[in-house]
Amino acid sequence: ASVRAYELRTKSKAELAKDLEDLKTELASLRVKQHSSSSGNQQQQQQQSVPRITTVRKAIARVNTVISQVQRDQLRLFYKGAKYTPLDLRVKKTRAIRRRLTNFEKAQKTVKATKKERHFPQRKYAIKA
Amino acid sequence: MAPKTTTAAPAIKKAAAAKKAALKGTAAKVTRKVRTNTTFRIPKTLRLARTPKYPRRSVPRTPTLDAHAIIKFPLNTESAMKKIEEDNTLVFITDVRANKRQIKDAVQRLYDVSAVKVNTLIRPDGAKKAYVKLDADVEALEVANRIGFI
Repeated sequence: ASVRAYELRTKSKAELAKDLEDLKTELASLRVKQHSSSSGNQQQQQQQSVPRITTVRKAIARVNTVISQVQRDQLRLFYKGAKYTPLDLRVKKTRAIRRRLTNFEKAQKTVKATKKERHFPQRKYAIKA
Repeated sequence: MAPKTTTAAPAIKKAAAAKKAALKGTAAKVTRKVRTNTTFRIPKTLRLARTPKYPRRSVPRTPTLDAHAIIKFPLNTESAMKKIEEDNTLVFITDVRANKRQIKDAVQRLYDVSAVKVNTLIRPDGAKKAYVKLDADVEALEVANRIGFI
């Protein structure tokens, strides 16, 4: 049974939690199998190969990812338009970029400067040869 | 003129007081507290609880060390089998960060058995081994069969 992310996204929170629990119990039983030394082993420390373990581990990762993604999307909707948002929902970029002047702030001019530009713009002219 | 002076006196007093208040202010006389002890203790002030305008983290973190992460797998070495049969204990490899109480709760949660006591040690390879002694009314062998590692 392959776990697909797009199928998981249609599920509810409770269903996803249950899926996670089921997958984890399955992983536990697989680990028991992996580490159980049958009496025929030469070395007692040998791990048996249980190929299904990788698929189950990745499935658990997928479920966790979908849970987290859906949760964060919902929270972004919830905080949309709010004045203060949680820090992990804000733009990350880099610390320096976050501290730069915004484009609006950069474009700000004093009243004096705007007047000057309005009344005395840089003229372009050509001299007739 | 007698009635006039008797009625005028309180009015004059009031006017005089108003004049003084206007010129000198109303806090002119400072009363010092009498301190009977040489030690100055910090006065108790109002301490408000936090009411943040927004949570700093969008969702509080879920603990990563849950029951499944604590107990990794059971051991079925010869000495472990001996423990199962004789002492009614199961032997698990657990996460190093787990303590005995957590291991006890994890075993309860995963396998529905109550542990009487838990002994732990850290193996030379860095893993934690837990000897979980089960309640007398439960058979370790039966639980081991149920888990599936016999």
